[in-house]
Amino acid sequence: MQTQNESVAFLLELLGTRAEGKSLDWLKSQTEKIREEGIPNKFFLAFSQASRYFKKDTLALSEQEIARAKALVEGFDPSHWDLLQTARTILVLSFQPEKEIWLKSINQLFETSEMHELQALFAALPLMPYLEDLLSRAIDGCRTNMTIVFDAIALNNPYPPSHFPEANWNQMVLKAIFMQRPIYRIQNLEQRRNPALAQIASDFAHERWAAGRKVMPELWRLVVPFIGDSMLEDLKKVVFSEDQLEAEAGVLAIYQSSYSPAKDILKAFPELVSAIEYGEVSWEKIGKDFQEKQA
Amino acid sequence: MEMYIDPHIHLVSRTTDDYEAMRKAGIVATIEPAFWLGQPRTEVGSFKDYFSTLVGWERFRASQFGIVHYCTMGLNSKEANNIALAEQVMELLPLYVGKEGVVAIGEIGYDDQTEAEDKFYRLQLELAKEVSLPVLIHTPHRDKKRGTTRSMDVAEEHGMDPGWVVVDHNNEETVKEVLDRGFWAAFTIYPHTKMGSERMVEIVKQYGPERIIVNSAADWGISDPLAVPKTANLMRKMGIPEEHVRLTTYQNALTVFGLSGQMHEDDWLKAPPIDQTKKLGGNSVLRGGQLPRVEGPADRVEN
Repeated sequence: MQTQNESVAFLLELLGTRAEGKSLDWLKSQTEKIREEGIPNKFFLAFSQASRYFKKDTLALSEQEIARAKALVEGFDPSHWDLLQTARTILVLSFQPEKEIWLKSINQLFETSEMHELQALFAALPLMPYLEDLLSRAIDGCRTNMTIVFDAIALNNPYPPSHFPEANWNQMVLKAIFMQRPIYRIQNLEQRRNPALAQIASDFAHERWAAGRKVMPELWRLVVPFIGDSMLEDLKKVVFSEDQLEAEAGVLAIYQSSYSPAKDILKAFPELVSAIEYGEVSWEKIGKDFQEKQA
Repeated sequence: MEMYIDPHIHLVSRTTDDYEAMRKAGIVATIEPAFWLGQPRTEVGSFKDYFSTLVGWERFRASQFGIVHYCTMGLNSKEANNIALAEQVMELLPLYVGKEGVVAIGEIGYDDQTEAEDKFYRLQLELAKEVSLPVLIHTPHRDKKRGTTRSMDVAEEHGMDPGWVVVDHNNEETVKEVLDRGFWAAFTIYPHTKMGSERMVEIVKQYGPERIIVNSAADWGISDPLAVPKTANLMRKMGIPEEHVRLTTYQNALTVFGLSGQMHEDDWLKAPPIDQTKKLGGNSVLRGGQLPRVEGPADRVEN
């Protein structure tokens, strides 16, 4: 509860310099009512009606603000949040009844939410209480087809890496690739790489090739620690791709691999290797360039 | 390019081909009234998931084709006759009526004109007043004229401002009274059972464009999701002034449903891209200012 209140104070401060005075007054009066009365219906109504007071403009946080967020709750990263979802998160965190009522209400809210409300709820997971009890809700949320909802769970969110079992984690990452989401924004992606995921990624690439389609270059980041003979065959194909980003991804994967038979290939790409060493080619850069190209 | 609003269409029943054709024909915004599904529901959970679809998946699906999707929330008159279920739906409605993109309470009113229909119609008029939303009235297929008059009598009895009420599915027999009493008169172009485009043109010729709204009510029956643009084109061909075409196929719907505070022209003229990653540049204003943003290729959904 202590952390919850600190989060509320921090988020209110972020809104304070960005939202209109009358919207902030509304929010403050609602949070007080919700905190004091603890009536689910009032909370639900305020949560929905927040869209009448707050816009979906991004917060556009400063470096210091992002750093403060991370210091508040490990991995908390609202750098892509908008004003509306920030206000909704404040309302959620201000609703503090006993555990049973809270869980029942929050589940009802999840089940009756529209897409922007779902976005707010899932992105706020790391700030919520009773995190363990929300696991099945978060896993279920990944089954959505709405990009903004999926992004709210999968991207810039410390909840999946810290809570998802391996099978669900792998499904989430693969789905992100299927939906062509920027996976460099998935937290702890490298730490949670695993042989099963690497194999799934390679199989997925083969499926795409069989269908005559391209593979999202960031996918090769997943195979790096598990490159052996068979994945090396994949990468030989990738490094000679006509697509510049694919070639960069292939070379970067081999560069980062500790599998020595792969290293010979690097000799054919001295310029790319040099760009990698100067930090001009990185997974984040490849991911960003790919998204830019898609747009 | 001309812009149209189809203020009554049941998109959950339509295909992506329809969406593409609608966008191509100039439809920029749609309103999907909560209705029945062609057969009565038996569980309140079916209503809950349907309402969630209207504000969730369907809204998203439309956005992928560059169409802004709004809805109305309500218990329809047919299903009001299952009283036990209807009471549970009434408890559910407050969870949805305040949501973003909900532009009215509707479609509500009479079907068989039973006592149960009357009861839930009245309760929902009160709900509309409580949350300051316009009302969309469905008028019955059978005994239409009397049903339409009664719908308006009861709305007035509950203190509804006629300027906040759209009476739908009008025809030549009902239109005069609806307009005379200050209500909005909507017409559904649904050739087999309701209006045809030619008849619609005659009505606009006779009554002018004020408070007249054209819609398709396209659903799971034989219906045409392009009825609004097609009727607009027929109006032009028959010499109806462009401003009258604009009012009846675009502006009037925006004016009355905009009373909800939930529907603004900027929603499609300055639509933010749904994909947040593309928003980082901060520029969500469109080049040329006229074409809505599209979410992106629609082939990346799991099915």
